[in-house]
Amino acid sequence: MRAFILAGGFATRLWPLTEKRAKPLLPLAGKPLVDHLIDQLPKEIPVTVSINAAFAESFERWKTTNSHSRVEIVVEEARKDTEKLGALGAVAQWVTERKIDDDILLLTGDNYCGFPINDVLAAYQPGTPIIAAHALSDIAMASAFGTIIPATDGKTVQAFEEKPALPKSALVSTGISIIPSRHLAVLVDYAKTKPDNIGGIFEEFLRRSIAVEYRAFTEPWFDIGSFEAYLEATRAIVGEHVHLGQEAICVTTKTEGSVVLGNRSSVRNSTLENVILFEDCTVEDCVLSDCIIDDHCNLKGIDLSKQMLREGTVLRKA
Amino acid sequence: MRPRLLLGLWLATDLALFVGFYCLAYFLRVGFYLSSDFPFRPFFWSVLTVAPVWLLVLGTTRTFALMRSQRTLRNASYIAYSALVGVALFTLAYYFEFKSSFQGVSRLLLLLAFVFTSIGIWLWHLLFHSFRRSLLRRSPASYPTLIVGATREAAALIGKLNLHRNPLTPVAVLDGRGTSEKELSGVPVFGKLDRLEEILEKEHITHLIQCSNLEQTLNLLSACRRRSITFLLLPSVMGIVEADKQVESLEGHPVTVVRPAGQPWEEWFFR
Repeated sequence: MRAFILAGGFATRLWPLTEKRAKPLLPLAGKPLVDHLIDQLPKEIPVTVSINAAFAESFERWKTTNSHSRVEIVVEEARKDTEKLGALGAVAQWVTERKIDDDILLLTGDNYCGFPINDVLAAYQPGTPIIAAHALSDIAMASAFGTIIPATDGKTVQAFEEKPALPKSALVSTGISIIPSRHLAVLVDYAKTKPDNIGGIFEEFLRRSIAVEYRAFTEPWFDIGSFEAYLEATRAIVGEHVHLGQEAICVTTKTEGSVVLGNRSSVRNSTLENVILFEDCTVEDCVLSDCIIDDHCNLKGIDLSKQMLREGTVLRKA
Repeated sequence: MRPRLLLGLWLATDLALFVGFYCLAYFLRVGFYLSSDFPFRPFFWSVLTVAPVWLLVLGTTRTFALMRSQRTLRNASYIAYSALVGVALFTLAYYFEFKSSFQGVSRLLLLLAFVFTSIGIWLWHLLFHSFRRSLLRRSPASYPTLIVGATREAAALIGKLNLHRNPLTPVAVLDGRGTSEKELSGVPVFGKLDRLEEILEKEHITHLIQCSNLEQTLNLLSACRRRSITFLLLPSVMGIVEADKQVESLEGHPVTVVRPAGQPWEEWFFR
């Protein structure tokens, strides 16, 4: 089996945090989001990360600091959102060009999975596609995801609907699935017409009478596609604590909710509530709530709420 | 280079016109000859002395500012006010230098000088304004402007900037929400804000006008500061759509003020 991580998106909704780095490289409780996935994978599985050309540099840098020597990066020649190959298109291209004939563990790089990926691998019946699923608390929220309508046996997928307007089920795909090698030809064929519809491949399997299974998890799972989801995932992982990176300093500061200080960031005489500071930031005499502050920001004497600040922003009250 | 040359030319022509209008007033009043009763030389000397000071006063009204429209009544008033200051300064300069006043001899000359320097300078400004704008817009535009937000307000603004040949030339639009439109009032839409740095660099942007995406104001400002780009924000982005809005100072804090409609006109002086 091989793992293929989809990390070729441009993540425009998380601009400016994704101005110079891909979404899977965003820090989540002290380490890149993609590392939360890779660290869970068995060591014997080779990992391929599919990225776009715009973020190639940041991924190469990440790879040098990453302990996974088995990680391979494939670069899709897209520099703009409009030039994208599409998620499924990227998988198909990799399968075709590298003549892959192994089972593929597909993972979307911008998802945080609180459940053990090993359990998905354990539940996999060779030759039958499987989807890791998560039951949302509100069925209406399922319209933003690929939804699974389960069969009565509790393990087979009866129907799969990609982002339905009126979801029939609160069970959604977590972006983790296994595609057996014998069905890769179907994937390559389907990607020719629907290169951007990653969930659509399961509809196609069912249309071709190929059984698809699912394994439902109750542990936290987040699709980090927005500012709110990013903060929520951090809250779920960090809890009501302060997470300090290396050489980070937090003195005479009142904190509430989840606060993450990246490496070498310092906070003095401030009030922070649900704040993520990336690396090398300086905050002094500020009141910040629900804020995500990129690297090298310098804030003094200001109040901010619900803001994402781009790298290198300097805000000092005159 | 082009803007500096044009500004230099504008200031020089204003100075020359100021002196020229006073001389015209002199000859109209005294006659087209060199009078011994009212010698030209001290008159001319006084005008030359006062002209730079008058230009400085005119400059403080920001009539030469890039975004100032010369066509407005407010701008005409500022020019008239400066002309009045010019007359007062000339009278004082002449009196202190030559211990002589115009009383009984040349009050009409002062009146003529005021009329010429207020109306004449305004007319010249209207003409030069139009000439300057067309030169500043010639390709490559002197002030390539990026519009952020593909909204109706943005489309209307682009329309007005182009109609009045404003020096700020819209060359690109970015939209945080990713509009499907390919252009806005004839200006290409390049995509979402992830292309900000690329567009700022490629198009040599000098001005950025935010017409939408309030949540990104700090980040747009940050990008502008880093590249010495002038940042402008439409009040409608903050929901202020009233026509009567002003940026004023409240104990040193800049504030945007929207006053209740329907107040008596004389309230304008005291509100």
